[in-house]
Amino acid sequence: MAGSGNAHLRPDALLSARDLVVEFPAAGGRTVYAVSGVSLDLAEGETLGLVGESGCGKSTTGRAILQLPRPTSGTVQLAGQELTELDEDAIREVRPRLQMIYQDPISSLNPRRRVRDIVAEPLFIALENVSRRTAMAVWQERIGELLQSLLRRAAAPLRIVGRLASVAFVLWILSETVEDRAAEGWLGWTQVPAAIIGFPTLALLLLAGAIALLGGLIWVLLAVMLPFGLMSRQFGEVSSAVGLAGVVVTTGASAFMLWRTWSSFGGWAKWLNSGGLILLTAVLAVWLVLSLAKPERAGASGVATTLSAMVVLQVFYVAGLDGGIKLAVLVASAVVDALLFRWVLRRYRVNRDAERERAEPRVREVLEYVGINPDDAMDRRPWEFSGGQAQRLSIARALVSVPQVIICDEPVSSLDVSVQAQILNLLEDLKNLMGLTLIFIAHDLAVVKNVSDRVAVMYLGKLCEVSEPDAMFDAPAHPYTELLLAAIPQPDPEAELGSGRIGGELPSPMDPPSGCRFRTRCPHAAQRCADEEPEMREIAPGRFVACHTPLVGETAPVRVEMASASRDES
Amino acid sequence: MSDASVPDLPGSDGRPLLDVAELRTTFHTAVGPLVAVDGVGWSLRRGARLGVVGESGSGKSVMSRSIMRLLPKSRVTSTGSVSFDGIDMMSLGRRELLEMWGPQLAMVFQDPLGSLNPVMKIGKQVGEGLRVHRDLSARAARSAAFDLLEEVGIPEPHRRIDEYPHQLSGGMRQRIVIAIALACSPRLLIADEPTTALDVTVQAQILDLLEAQRAERNMSLVLITHDLGIVAGRTDEIIVMYAGRIVERAPTATLFSDMRMPYTEALFRSIPKVSDDSHARLEIIGGQPPQMTDLPSGCKFAPRCKYAQDLCYAEEPALIEVPAPTRSRSAITGDGTGGSDGGGGEPDVTHSYRCFYPVGTDDAAEALERNIASGRVNEAGVVIRADD
Ligand SMILES: Nc1ncnc2c1ncn2[C@@H]1O[C@H](COP(=O)(O)OP(=O)(O)OP(=O)(O)O)[C@@H](O)[C@H]1O
Ligand SMILES: Nc1ncnc2c1ncn2[C@@H]1O[C@H](COP(=O)(O)OP(=O)(O)O)[C@@H](O)[C@H]1O
Ligand code: SF4
Ligand code: SF4
Ligand SMILES: [Mg+2]
Ligand SMILES: [Mg+2]
Repeated sequence: MAGSGNAHLRPDALLSARDLVVEFPAAGGRTVYAVSGVSLDLAEGETLGLVGESGCGKSTTGRAILQLPRPTSGTVQLAGQELTELDEDAIREVRPRLQMIYQDPISSLNPRRRVRDIVAEPLFIALENVSRRTAMAVWQERIGELLQSLLRRAAAPLRIVGRLASVAFVLWILSETVEDRAAEGWLGWTQVPAAIIGFPTLALLLLAGAIALLGGLIWVLLAVMLPFGLMSRQFGEVSSAVGLAGVVVTTGASAFMLWRTWSSFGGWAKWLNSGGLILLTAVLAVWLVLSLAKPERAGASGVATTLSAMVVLQVFYVAGLDGGIKLAVLVASAVVDALLFRWVLRRYRVNRDAERERAEPRVREVLEYVGINPDDAMDRRPWEFSGGQAQRLSIARALVSVPQVIICDEPVSSLDVSVQAQILNLLEDLKNLMGLTLIFIAHDLAVVKNVSDRVAVMYLGKLCEVSEPDAMFDAPAHPYTELLLAAIPQPDPEAELGSGRIGGELPSPMDPPSGCRFRTRCPHAAQRCADEEPEMREIAPGRFVACHTPLVGETAPVRVEMASASRDES
Repeated sequence: MSDASVPDLPGSDGRPLLDVAELRTTFHTAVGPLVAVDGVGWSLRRGARLGVVGESGSGKSVMSRSIMRLLPKSRVTSTGSVSFDGIDMMSLGRRELLEMWGPQLAMVFQDPLGSLNPVMKIGKQVGEGLRVHRDLSARAARSAAFDLLEEVGIPEPHRRIDEYPHQLSGGMRQRIVIAIALACSPRLLIADEPTTALDVTVQAQILDLLEAQRAERNMSLVLITHDLGIVAGRTDEIIVMYAGRIVERAPTATLFSDMRMPYTEALFRSIPKVSDDSHARLEIIGGQPPQMTDLPSGCKFAPRCKYAQDLCYAEEPALIEVPAPTRSRSAITGDGTGGSDGGGGEPDVTHSYRCFYPVGTDDAAEALERNIASGRVNEAGVVIRADD
């Protein structure tokens, strides 16, 4: 098996992956050879089963085809288009045509979102691809999502914390307008109660304030960008230009505020008193700049950090002002922030509602395809469904953009037998109905046989055998296939147990055996297997095997001699 | 329903090792009581192998935890009797239970990583039970642990003994869990889905290992799974559970040749088999397992059962016992196997099921015909209107 070679590839395939290699760096400068020269192809309307022990590289192969991540080397062609050479934007445009279904249905669906949005997701990516969706648009959506979910979840506790914090804050500022801070020192008597309530809550204020009160600049940024980001093609470029300008302005404003704050504290004299907070501000400001510079990476923590930093800066800015104006600025900024916040959120919702409305008929249609009642399900969240239903939802999501190829990574492995049967039948029906082309990854041979038109057996990053399932299961040609078949538990008490087990464990992919990678566990291994890697070749019409001495075909008898010869040697 | 009619293995004293009767475990949840195990009873001979099969949520794990007395401390009540070698498990206190766990009963859980201590070396975890129960010194426990690792087929035990669980593959971890369970030579091992998280080759290795160790130690084994394929060749008797109840119990060969319970039949038929042609249509069980806090009245399987009649919705069938033929036809074909076998087999082994229209009877065939005629079930035998 551990064979290479492309004898099994066909010229007219819809998807064709050649010599895929995926290597991951490991600790100690070592390399994990996860996939080492796997070639697969798929004819239109065909289901290719990919089977092998866990850790042999099935998922990695599937993801390499999707360019998630890109393979270390090798080529992937979808309908004649070479995917490995496309840039990120172009790949994003291809994605709707290549969908994936994962093993664990519930955890692969975003728990915060409703079914209608989850299922529609690939559709938006598909639609917006047409209008050249920019990185900035992705980012806006993410922030919007995050804030909405934070708001929903944290509303009650945040209101309390926010109120406490603002009371403390106002007290502190008032006390400062009454007494001269420079004369009284950092903690004047009037400041003590405020400080006691204020400082412990200040940390919480960072987040609370961001959502409930401040963060105005982010909102300005969003407000400017949102209408553009969700518009059509012509505005794509404008939107990214405006976005960039927004980032520059925000960063500049932050730097200015930091500087104002610094000087308002009178330099080194106050450093000792306020050092901790200043330092925090500086660190946050750096994070802010970093996360704004890489908007695509600004996940939940990046955005939270950004917002926190904004609040801290605003706090210090306000604190740095003199006398009565301080209160006025505070109130004004709160009012402006609140108004902006409402306005942006409403805009955002209007946009989402329009998107939803457009997508709704399609979402309903696919939900019905997969046997889920849209009226019940549309507004529920993934964890309200059983494993089997959640897997149906992932299938619906994969179908919604009418992909050319769906890669199913162990879609039934975590399901009960009864649910497994429902999902397998469903995939079969959908295939007949929609002409789907599937790669079906599983470790259960009976399942693979049930769904596949062609089966590829994989071992330690290489292919062993590619064949039509009925022939393969009647007479396995590769020794590994034979042993895999023997391991299947049969629902028949009379069936023989324990004949020809694979002993031992899969060798480490960091240190694969020489020659044929299966030789360390192969009952027929001979010297040649260690010296020479077997090439994939056709041993019977439509049957391809990478083994020096396959169990089927003209070399089969030779194998017996060689096996006994090797036994004599040892 | 202790099962005095099952013959004992030679050499045993005639008493079953484990006798469970009227076991009922209720969780007090926010939405009301959830009876996860409802009046279950069975017994197990020394050295015998029992399979427990059922869909997710049918109460298999709760049943085994109730027997082990490993349930959460609050919001749960467990009643009935569990007698292990004459000892009433239900009356034992914490200290006495600690004495029982290990040398008497042991358990292997589905998730091997979750049942291992991530910060303790393998050797220490395996030897720990021996130090507690056998008073072994650290050195003796270590060498015993080494032997156990060898026995459960861990490659390079001298290296693995000083490693931590995360350094092992899933299959090896499950071997370690088995080594820990076997350390004190328990007389009963309950394996709760020991291979569900593993792939076929490792699964076969683990099941072979369990069988070899059971035979060598003359241990009794309860093998819990949702896959009928796993218990087919590896158990003497099988219990099928649905909604916290036993719905069928029979010697393994009988269960596969003369299954009576429509649920068992449906479970069996939904498994893809390598012997089937590729793209063979699988027979599915329509609908969902029942909501455990809101069970239907009557037969709990009725909404998903292709034979269900009005009677099934009105009244819950009792678990009835009939004599089972000891050796019966090998493969089941799915078409009727004829009425009950009056005098056909040796009447000393029993077959129980909970159904008004048992599979293979004329009543069942007529019931199915009526359902097809009324449109409740389609021609392929699948329930299309899941509610009456
Ligand atoms: N701690 C608990 N509190 C409340 N309900 C519980 C608890 N543990 C289990 N249950 C419920 O008891 C029923 C039986 O659960 P159990 O875990 O025994 O199922 P199972 O047959 O082992 O399924 P699986 O294959 O998923 O493990 C289920 O309805 C489950 O939701
Ligand atoms: N991100 C990664 N970094 C390092 N090794 C990886 C990574 N992803 C996968 N591997 C390794 O690659 C091999 C193949 O993994 P995978 O494709 O997930 O196996 P399968 O899907 O067949 O169970 C395994 O040895 C795995 O540990
Ligand atoms: S016979 Fe040789 S080439 Fe063939 S699978 Fe075995 S080790 Fe590999
Ligand atoms: S036939 Fe009636 S009693 Fe028997 S399983 Fe079906 S519903 Fe239950
Ligand atoms: Mg995988
Ligand atoms: Mg369980």
